[in-house]
Amino acid sequence: MKQLIDISKELFESKKVAYIIGYAEDKFKRVKPFVAHSSLDAETFVFNNYSVNNLSVYLTRLPKPKDGKIGIVAKGCDIKSIIALIQENQIKRDDVIIIGVNCNSVVNQIDEQFSKENTAIKCKYCQVRTPAHYDYLVGEIKEVELPEDKNFAIMQKLDSMSAEEKWNFWEAEFEKCVKCYACRQVCPLCYCEQCIVDKSMPRWIDSSATTKGNFAWNMIRAFHLSGRCIGCNECERACPADIPLSLLNRKMGMVAMNEFNYRHGTDINQPTLIGNYNVNDKEDFIM
Amino acid sequence: MNNYVLSKDQINKLTQELLTSDYKVISSSKDGRRFVAISSADDLMINSNQKPSAVSMKEFFFPKTETLFFYKRNKDEYDLIDAIEENQLQIIFGAKPCDTSAIPIVSKVFNWDYKDVFFNKKVENTIIIGLTCNFIDENCFCTSVGLSPISEKGSDLFLIPIDENKFACKVVTEKGEKFVSSHSNIFTQTIDEQSINTNDIKIPEKRFEPKEVKEWLDKNFNHSLWDELGENCLGCAQCAFACPTCHCFDIVDEECNHTCGRRAKNWDACQFEIFTKHASGHNPRNEQDKRYRQRISHKFKYYADKFDEILCTGCGRCTRGCPVFTDIGIILEDINQLAKESISNN
Repeated sequence: MKQLIDISKELFESKKVAYIIGYAEDKFKRVKPFVAHSSLDAETFVFNNYSVNNLSVYLTRLPKPKDGKIGIVAKGCDIKSIIALIQENQIKRDDVIIIGVNCNSVVNQIDEQFSKENTAIKCKYCQVRTPAHYDYLVGEIKEVELPEDKNFAIMQKLDSMSAEEKWNFWEAEFEKCVKCYACRQVCPLCYCEQCIVDKSMPRWIDSSATTKGNFAWNMIRAFHLSGRCIGCNECERACPADIPLSLLNRKMGMVAMNEFNYRHGTDINQPTLIGNYNVNDKEDFIM
Repeated sequence: MNNYVLSKDQINKLTQELLTSDYKVISSSKDGRRFVAISSADDLMINSNQKPSAVSMKEFFFPKTETLFFYKRNKDEYDLIDAIEENQLQIIFGAKPCDTSAIPIVSKVFNWDYKDVFFNKKVENTIIIGLTCNFIDENCFCTSVGLSPISEKGSDLFLIPIDENKFACKVVTEKGEKFVSSHSNIFTQTIDEQSINTNDIKIPEKRFEPKEVKEWLDKNFNHSLWDELGENCLGCAQCAFACPTCHCFDIVDEECNHTCGRRAKNWDACQFEIFTKHASGHNPRNEQDKRYRQRISHKFKYYADKFDEILCTGCGRCTRGCPVFTDIGIILEDINQLAKESISNN
């Protein structure tokens, strides 16, 4: 923590940053996103197993500073979405200072005690506990016990289902959708200035929370994130209706990997899967 | 009005009877996250120790999408077809005071300059069986907005646990009384008001004074607090959709094909940028700080100005579900503190 605070204070004092997006505790000791505007603010920074938020979402939501760069405290997984934003030309590498944090996994149910059982499933396969890309690195790696991947069995089951059974599964899940679009708002890669669901002339997607409207929204979001989702699972965490969105996103990510050997958010210089034409791309994938 | 004793078996029997008659029976889902229509008495959940559901039960009065009418085109003419469900009876079991009390609160706006027949019909056709709440976490503040875990506001009948298998059932409204008399085979054993014990119910401490909060809001439309709050908020509106009292809606037309369609009333929220976007492109609430100010002000100032009610039941749903952990209780405490400071400075 001291390292994190010292680096942040130094960045303010040397006027390198306009603000730093990090984590702080509220009066009930809950860890939440906090934007520091001064070295005094930065003294409240914390990082621990409860630092669940992917703060990179704020990079495209907060106003661009007139002077100085944006500092951001980020776990290895969150840095993947920062790299993705750079790959997709949404931010410039030179405009951000990344304070990478060695991460000892994060909690799943935020209001319950962190434990092996209460660890986010995404941490199970994490290969970036020490971030792969950063300007500064803080924190120490400790040995962690990893959770069970409860979703893998569900994904296998879904794969073996008939089209009708899959439809029934997702219809029941999407039926709960309240169309709040919290999934979109917390997603660092949902940065469109005007989302397709908000377009009304003409209206492409029913805004009603009906079977048709819910399928249209959730499927279009899954398509838009294919080969782009970096698996932070913020959408699933934010969903008040408990829709298992990570199943969709993870499946699409696996397709991108298996069919095109592509993983988004790993190399700032790599052209994106969707934004790049490669003559060697397989065509048998197109139905 | 009499008070009754109901055993769990009697409640199950009542549920079976209602399911075989014309009632839609609504209870907490097994995971306690939402309210659902059930098809068997085995699915009934009445648990006063449970955390408030993630999403309130308002959708049974104000559905997330509701057809206002259908239309059909005949050459150059349109036929309009009524969509209102006149006769669907509903009964809700085990809703907490922080959920039931929202119905009379939002009823005021749904019956202000225009009487919303869709909402009113559903209220008229619904029996609400409230339940004392024996759950407290740091997000609860019902006592700060004039309610309590034993508040009967909005309930027709109200359950107070006696032991693991029995509830005292208070009759609150005439509608409740009528319901009881039409199910006299179930409501057989009466109990004195004095014998109903609510002393064991934990009561949350009062955290702020809404009058002082309102006085501060009256004078601080422009304050740096809003900038701070707007900076953290991602504008996802989970808070509004989970909230028992948020009631904003959008009206849209949806086609089934070029000759028919429906007009629908859908949930909407002031946290969305397009909520206030004018056709000209101008947006009076173009930034999140203005939108967050609207959320707080509507609940604790504008609604109080107009209807003499606070548009909040202190249930804490918005805080529990917030992806960035914005705590409305802490914000109101902070505002109350600012109000006290400004009073002492004057």
